[in-house]
Amino acid sequence: MARIIAGVGTSHVPLLGVAADGGKDRDAYFGPIFAGYDWTREWEKGEKPDVVILVYNDHASAFDANIIPTFAIGTGERYKPADEGWGPRKVPDVIGDPDLAWHIAQSLILDEFDMTIVNEMDVDHGLTVPLTMMFGAPAAWPVKVVPLAVNVVTYPVPSGNRCWALGEAIARAVASYPEDLKVQIWGTGGMSHQLQGPRAGLINAEWDRRFMDRLIGETDELRHVPHLEYLRETGSEGIEMVMWLIMRGALGKKTRLLHRHYHVPCSNTAIGHIVLEPET
Amino acid sequence: MSHEDEPDIHTYLAQFDDIPGTRVYTATRARKGYHLNQFAMSLMKAENRERWKADEAAYLAPWPMTEDQKAAVLARDYNRLLDLGGNIYFLSKIFSTDGLSFVQAVSTMTGMSVEDYQAMMNAGGRSPEGVRSIRENR
Repeated sequence: MARIIAGVGTSHVPLLGVAADGGKDRDAYFGPIFAGYDWTREWEKGEKPDVVILVYNDHASAFDANIIPTFAIGTGERYKPADEGWGPRKVPDVIGDPDLAWHIAQSLILDEFDMTIVNEMDVDHGLTVPLTMMFGAPAAWPVKVVPLAVNVVTYPVPSGNRCWALGEAIARAVASYPEDLKVQIWGTGGMSHQLQGPRAGLINAEWDRRFMDRLIGETDELRHVPHLEYLRETGSEGIEMVMWLIMRGALGKKTRLLHRHYHVPCSNTAIGHIVLEPET
Repeated sequence: MSHEDEPDIHTYLAQFDDIPGTRVYTATRARKGYHLNQFAMSLMKAENRERWKADEAAYLAPWPMTEDQKAAVLARDYNRLLDLGGNIYFLSKIFSTDGLSFVQAVSTMTGMSVEDYQAMMNAGGRSPEGVRSIRENR
């Protein structure tokens, strides 16, 4: 039987991919950011997950302004890194797990989450930067990936409560998959940042830290944080943090903290990273 | 009906106007900016970037955008482009094609020089103090 063994939260700033690909990840600017992931890279070597359900948002790469799925799940065999305007990242193709992905998609729909199903798409920094942060630069990614893309760009985006509940439904779907698989779920994006308008550059370390605190243990307060609070407190792009709640929801009633890291800045953004496991 | 954590759609949308210096990407903006954003998206293809760089005005000509939108694109006036329905993730294809980073492009919307903006970020970023709400002045 498949089971969710851990959850990971991480920012997915595109500059992190640029830094890693250009060999700058240990310089004075990026060193303190990447150092916070060293623990996780070692831990992943021991955990050896088979599959990562990777919750991210597409940044106008695979999905243009035409079709806007609120929740989309990738059921493809393989996904190529997207060309985001400066050529595709030279990282390995991302290998899917169509059988598990279809099982999750079907289970979610019966569970009243009406998913959009995507067979072919390119994946942008939202998905490939987290892989780099957790696994470095291997010749092939050591896990299969089920991409789960969330609309956090065009409003209304899904509520925090809906994201949490989706995570709970994903956990039920994984638990009913017959193959013996170790599955991790990653929630990516955030933390506080605003990339537009005169208020650009907003960072709210205090709020970000409180957000991370509330992923740990039994509290489910974050289900009820309205969009307006993210926008006011964490900048227009801070809303990406609702994607971490899908990860949190999938870990069950209670979590245990394994590792956390926070750093300001990376480009325009606060970097947050957390590793959790379900506690029963 | 909406969930208890979010107000009804009219209140939900209206409250976004209370955030200083911020254009939330609502359906109204998405409709207005549809072709502008689709144009920006087209720059994800290398062959399109070459045609764009060779003659920007000629590349823009067939796109069903307003003259205001075309002028703002040519001027790289990103605040204006947000007002005209642009979304930053779509607009990023334009500044990426220009070879600009997010910091370089985003700083142009703040009235600060790139250097000053970068210094602000390195010092911990812009504080939310005073820029949370226009109405409540906090």
